Amino acid sequence: MPTQVQTKILKAEKRAAQNAEISSATQTVIGWQGVRCMLPPDWNVTGFSMDRENGYLRVDAPAPGTMTVQIRWSNAARVQKGPPNLYTFLAPRFRKLFKRPDAAVPKPDLKANLEKILKETAKQAKKAKAGFESTIKPEKTEGDDDERTAINFSWNGGGRGQGKIWYCAVCHRIIVAQVVGMPKDQTAMALIASQLFATLHDHSIDGYDRWALYDLQVDVPDDFHLEDQKLLSGYLHLGFRRGSERILVDRWGLANVTLKKFTLDAWFRNHALVKLKCLPKDERSLHGHECEHYTGSIPAIARIRALRETKGALRRFATRYESGIWECPNTNKLYAIQVAHNKRSVGLWEEVAERCDCH
Amino acid sequence: MRLPLMLRVKYGIGRYLPFLKIRPPKVDRQAAMLLRPGRNSMLTWEKRETGETMLLVPQNEKVGRVTRTMARFLKAPTERQVELDEVGGYVWELCDGSLTVDAIVQRTCKQYKMNRREAEVSVTMFLQMLHERNFIGFYKKTGKKA
Repeated sequence: MPTQVQTKILKAEKRAAQNAEISSATQTVIGWQGVRCMLPPDWNVTGFSMDRENGYLRVDAPAPGTMTVQIRWSNAARVQKGPPNLYTFLAPRFRKLFKRPDAAVPKPDLKANLEKILKETAKQAKKAKAGFESTIKPEKTEGDDDERTAINFSWNGGGRGQGKIWYCAVCHRIIVAQVVGMPKDQTAMALIASQLFATLHDHSIDGYDRWALYDLQVDVPDDFHLEDQKLLSGYLHLGFRRGSERILVDRWGLANVTLKKFTLDAWFRNHALVKLKCLPKDERSLHGHECEHYTGSIPAIARIRALRETKGALRRFATRYESGIWECPNTNKLYAIQVAHNKRSVGLWEEVAERCDCH
Repeated sequence: MRLPLMLRVKYGIGRYLPFLKIRPPKVDRQAAMLLRPGRNSMLTWEKRETGETMLLVPQNEKVGRVTRTMARFLKAPTERQVELDEVGGYVWELCDGSLTVDAIVQRTCKQYKMNRREAEVSVTMFLQMLHERNFIGFYKKTGKKA
């Protein structure tokens, strides 16, 4: 009969083996509004918000109703400041102009935030006529430069949740990430939670945000904000904007079926932002595939439309257009990246296209 | 399989008078994925060289004698053609009553290198559409209708 110590060792070995199993399997990368993490394969985004300041992301396990990862974020800097006024409007602009460091953001009260969240969860458990219990662990600092102040927590009532709340001193965001599931999934939840917390990042790297969902993975400069999206079965579209500059990322599935009816060129002409007839075309290699690349200036009518859309703002006014479409036979998908940019942002298309992982 | 008349009336009332809270029972996803879609034996189909599949749906089968005579007199078409694209044709061929919805999703995923969720949404919607038109039926086990 194994002793207590032996049982503990066996359990630890089992846990290590399970961990190794998870890490060895191909993982799903999820990236949205600067938040990115890695989860087991086939986990998919099922809910999201368009707002970068205060938003949420929900990722579900392949079998619905089993486990869910919920990530919420809010900008602590904005919360602290209160309603906007002339000072809050002008101060960051002057700081940027004179290259002064950002104003110090007071550290938010994480415990108060967490208690608020747990109170809401308790209310839901009460509605479901279930008891509620929660455990809050002491506050600790973590991260490479101790930039994070974090509190781990767990709750039990109606379902089960294991989560973490932290404040990041770099991006001034308060992030709440939790894995929610049924009480029977406790072991699996613990594994997912450890994987989630180990891989979750809350701010951009090298000035680029990773946007990743449903096999689409692309890095976009962090000063571009998400303007529109279309997430359909077989077609994904993400549109970003910075002033009047735009980046459009499209991904179509079933490339082999599409290319039986259309050529790559004809398909792209039907979906491009501007008329491609007058633009010079060249072919180049991208990620080992042949890419049809177009570049030229934006026609006058499209410029007038852009001027109307940006309400007359001439800052970084887009005058150039660059785009490319390629087929990735490895994943049977078509990828297209279109950029409407200012003369100063030369090379933007290349940077985004190089950072778009197709396989 | 069509619901009994009484249930259809009941759910019809519930649909138009929502405050009565009469709703059809929710279908469990796991149970739905284990159903086996089977083709309607009245239908014939042919595969074209372009990859599309053409379904030939017989018409004027369940109509009265007068209508049938009129249809013959006016030379009305006896069958309707429904064109399915390549992926639709592939799923149609898999609906032989031996494969579950889950297996069809998996095969479609593999064949067209689709994301599991994307394939699941497309295939289930397509099967639902075929079922609404009575082109397929669902079996709980091979040979027995649900």
